[in-house]
Amino acid sequence: MIRYLLSRMAHALLLVIGVSLLAFLFTTLAPGNYFDEMRLNPQIAPETLSALRAHYQLDRPLPIRYVSWVNSVLHGQMGFSFAYNSPVAPLLLVRAKNTLLLTITATLLAWAIALPLGVWSAERLGRFPDHVISWSTAILLVIPDLALALGLLVLTVRTGWFPTGGMASVDFESLSSLNKIRDLAMHMTLPVAALVLSALPLLVRHVRASVADVLHAPFLLAAEGHGIPRRTLLYRYALPAAANPLLSLFGFSIGALLSGSLLIEVVMSWPGLGPFLLEAILARDIYVVIGGVLFSTIFLATGNLLADMLLYWVDPRIRAESASR
Amino acid sequence: MEPILKVENLVKRYAKRNFVGMPQDFLALDGVSFTVSAGTTLAIVGESGSGKSTLASCIACLETPTAGNLWFEGRNLIQVAESDLRKIRPQIQLIFSDPASSLNPRWKILEILIEPLILQGRLSRKERNTHAFSLLERVGLSSDIVERPSSELSGGQRQRLAIARALTLDPKLLILDEALSALDCSVQAQIANLLLELQSSLAMTFLFITHDLTMAAHLADEIAVMSQGRIVEQGPSTKILRNPGQEATRQLLAAVPRLPHATFPATQQ
Amino acid sequence: MSRWRKVAPWLLVLAVLHGIVVCAGFFAPYDPIEQDRKNPYLPPMRLHFVDTHKHLHLRPFVYAFTLRPGSFDQYMEDTSHPLPLKFFVAGDRYRLLGLLPARLHLFGADNERIYLLGSDAFGRDQLSRLLFGGQVSLLAGLLGAGFTLLIGWCIGAAAGYYGGWRDDLLMRVAELFLALPWLYLLFAIRAFLPLAVNPLQAFFLIVAVIAAVGWARPARLVRGIVLSAKERDFVRAARGFGASDVYLLRRHILPETSSVLLTQTAILIPQYVLAEMTLSFLGLGVPEPVPSWGNLLSNLQQYSVLVSYWWMYLPALIMVPFFLGYLGLASALQESPGAYKIERRSLGSLA
Repeated sequence: MIRYLLSRMAHALLLVIGVSLLAFLFTTLAPGNYFDEMRLNPQIAPETLSALRAHYQLDRPLPIRYVSWVNSVLHGQMGFSFAYNSPVAPLLLVRAKNTLLLTITATLLAWAIALPLGVWSAERLGRFPDHVISWSTAILLVIPDLALALGLLVLTVRTGWFPTGGMASVDFESLSSLNKIRDLAMHMTLPVAALVLSALPLLVRHVRASVADVLHAPFLLAAEGHGIPRRTLLYRYALPAAANPLLSLFGFSIGALLSGSLLIEVVMSWPGLGPFLLEAILARDIYVVIGGVLFSTIFLATGNLLADMLLYWVDPRIRAESASR
Repeated sequence: MEPILKVENLVKRYAKRNFVGMPQDFLALDGVSFTVSAGTTLAIVGESGSGKSTLASCIACLETPTAGNLWFEGRNLIQVAESDLRKIRPQIQLIFSDPASSLNPRWKILEILIEPLILQGRLSRKERNTHAFSLLERVGLSSDIVERPSSELSGGQRQRLAIARALTLDPKLLILDEALSALDCSVQAQIANLLLELQSSLAMTFLFITHDLTMAAHLADEIAVMSQGRIVEQGPSTKILRNPGQEATRQLLAAVPRLPHATFPATQQ
Repeated sequence: MSRWRKVAPWLLVLAVLHGIVVCAGFFAPYDPIEQDRKNPYLPPMRLHFVDTHKHLHLRPFVYAFTLRPGSFDQYMEDTSHPLPLKFFVAGDRYRLLGLLPARLHLFGADNERIYLLGSDAFGRDQLSRLLFGGQVSLLAGLLGAGFTLLIGWCIGAAAGYYGGWRDDLLMRVAELFLALPWLYLLFAIRAFLPLAVNPLQAFFLIVAVIAAVGWARPARLVRGIVLSAKERDFVRAARGFGASDVYLLRRHILPETSSVLLTQTAILIPQYVLAEMTLSFLGLGVPEPVPSWGNLLSNLQQYSVLVSYWWMYLPALIMVPFFLGYLGLASALQESPGAYKIERRSLGSLA
């Protein structure tokens, strides 16, 4: 067990290092840098520009910059933002917190809806309720997230039920604690709704498919023949057997916690990692971009690792495969 | 008489890496030696995991042994160059155990039959088709199935087709790697009789690999018993069955279900 | 094959949808770039068959808009000014399929412009922009998906067939690409290439970037198939007859990948069209004045547009029938019905 864990962790670490290299390569090899904008400004002397460039080590060769960046990461700073004149890490952390608030809520909600719905649908496979679910998920699937998010916005604007952007009202600080929470919830509703609606159809379909596969397996029929009650059958026999692909899916969900909401955040003006990175990309604030990509990848790798571990714990076949090697 | 096939101390080792990355070798063949005389049938009998399929692959030149010698018609196949090997391979043909996977299910039967000829560059297109039809007749398949995909055939028909394909290039040695194991009993008997008839009319040598001692007794002149990568006993069928010398042979014999007071089926003369 | 029966209706639907977009010049009444500054942000004109005198007309007509008295941006129908729709009219010049010059349009009106989907800030007809925008977005998606599948197919086949260190290397690289959040990668690559390029360059840049991001998953799928096909007995038998590597790949192994490639095509094309839309929406894609489904939506980021001009949202829904068609096609193509399966995880396998 420990060996498995260690090997998967080593794997994840290598992945993160590889991604950091790749991201570094992409962003630093690309033409142009942050100070190009300034070049257009006739009031800034070229000497100032080259001094700035030297100060930020933009003229050093690539490997040295990589090493000094890694050094910075290990010290918890993750490079330096030109636009904000501050180390990257604290900037990212603040934004990441906002994003996670959104995505964790949405993920929990989506799974909480999808699991029972999928199981219920799988039980009634081919019958009317199942068809209703299939068609509804199909309709949701064919509406792209962009259209969904924008559509929700348009609706809200016309009805005025929910705030149309941002994370807090203008008078947030003056509200009482209870009202602060209410205010946050109101602002979160739209983005969370958009996220849940876009994730739901695939989740429901996969749960339904995995459980349906298992429900018709001979071992389940045999258990039913033993007189085991329906609910126990479903949740203690069928669901664990269907767990393998579902846990992988769950791992993906965790992995996408930081990166999956980018578009929705931009559309809904939620101050998360998404708009921040977009702004940095447009301004060529490279260390912010690399830091953001790294953050997301760490989450993704952690998500996969979590899925692996959960799978090892839940699925005896994986344990046996590991032991026999 | 010089034996057509002589296997000498054949060793096959598979290098695998285990879970943590340390090499863990698996010895499939541990010094196998036996001979086969031309025109006869040798049955190699052993339980699962004794290395029989690996042996079949090595003799058919589909895999390279780690050590040892393989004499076919007086030439050592281990030392023959690849270009010459391309000419020798067609003379040793292998029939696989799973009829479903040994024929490409998407291909039509005619395509399957003429593929060996195309690959070896023999005969014109018309001659290939004629040859294919005559082979079908040989193995007892009707020729109106040629345009159908092979997935539409039954297990027994597929093995007949596999045998027909193997015969396309006039092989001298036919290796049957558990070729009957996947078939129903009655179909097994039919194919077995087909093989006997082919052997007498074409004077071919058969290497019959099986775990079924009864079938071996029915088909083979000689039996070699294989256990854990080595041949532990070889001799004429009657002798092996009446007086098993080794423990492995005795265990195989004991595994054959028998009615009380029944004598063991008479072996082939 | 009976699979053909399931697949054919979806192909028909998709063919019709794509056909309309390909012949955008015919179906669209006006040139998408042509401006009409006197009529900014006109709401969609409703089709009428019955006029104010309760007479039924067989030929549909619309009413021209006039400004609501006392307002400078609110319009109302001018019932004294009906514009009958004429069909198969001669209008702005365009090139059918980019080659044949033509002037025939499906519908139009004499003298005045008709805005069935409204107009934007510069008075450009949204319907025309929608149809022509489809050419850009769909082409980007199709080309991008094509390149990705080509790259993924080659890499996957090479990794699966040759195995060994080549396989390990290629699959590790694939894992890296899969681990990167693709949207970020897309933006990062795109933004770090020159931002101010002309539309044609931007288009090909986007196609290249999208293709570079997505090759990993198809490669893994193809690799899996090649790996298992390589060990099948009929491949070994063919090798026994003297088949070369090229022959085995060409005649036995690669045909096994056709099914997965077709399904991947149906799945990837809509995703890639969406990727182009997202890039253009955020200003990183095809720039003005060339329309694309993405940049038609980009002014929705302004609050004023969101509040007052709801018809600017309509282009967002255009993807729905296309998505539906491709989704239906993908389901029909798959061996097992229902949702596509997530790969089962097991130890040690890179899948």
